[in-house]
Amino acid sequence: MTEDEIRKEEQIIERSKKDPQAFGELYEKYFDRIYNYILRQTDDEELAGDLCSQTFVNALNNISRYELRGFPFSSWLYKIAGNEVNKHYRKNKGTKIFSIEELKVRELIEQNTDDWDEELINQLIRFMNELPTEMIQVLELRFFEDKDFKEIAFILDMTESGAKMRTYRALDKLRTNFNLKVKYNG
Amino acid sequence: MGKHEIRLRRQRMSARGSDRFRNYNAVLKQHSDEKRIKQITRIFTFFLLIALIIVIFMVITRWEENQNVKPKSKINTTVLCVT
Repeated sequence: MTEDEIRKEEQIIERSKKDPQAFGELYEKYFDRIYNYILRQTDDEELAGDLCSQTFVNALNNISRYELRGFPFSSWLYKIAGNEVNKHYRKNKGTKIFSIEELKVRELIEQNTDDWDEELINQLIRFMNELPTEMIQVLELRFFEDKDFKEIAFILDMTESGAKMRTYRALDKLRTNFNLKVKYNG
Repeated sequence: MGKHEIRLRRQRMSARGSDRFRNYNAVLKQHSDEKRIKQITRIFTFFLLIALIIVIFMVITRWEENQNVKPKSKINTTVLCVT
């Protein structure tokens, strides 16, 4: 985000504190991103739609308490969305789902050979099922949402070094177990 | 360590998929409804608190009255006994 965009967003937030209609602009801007983030954690379009609406309602209800802390406004929305998803799983006592796009996985991982083996993908899924949920959450935000570690730490309520450590450990495990190259230079 | 399940999505997520859930008017309505409920709850709690304070005040006043009345009646009976 450019300085100009950040300033414009700050102005909208200030206006939204007095007039909820103004928040519509931020809603339109971030709806798709938040919806997809929730959909990745639920794999249910209807549920993702409901949780996404609740996320924006909560954001609007608490906009007067929002303070700039050096993060984009979207980080706050991601944080609320994550809390809504966790609340849903706690209430329904279900298994947390991470629905990842095959194409995105292929983009991230460079294979030595061009053809993608279905068995390799299945092994990867099995391997990721064994990783701690907290590690998957960090990986998801880092690789699927392109968030930096500072932002990840804010969204998941952890330290920046904790977020880094989890990512590097997961990548190390991937490299050792699968002999794959992960496109990552962060 | 938590419990989770990884699922593979064959199709890429599109912006079109979320369009049928996009409705800012519904968000605004829910926001104003929740705000109204919050205000009503606040007012109700305020009056409940006032009522509680009044009840406590009345109970204390009555208890104090009873405390003051009891010794008087004792004196009267003594007087009656003497006569």
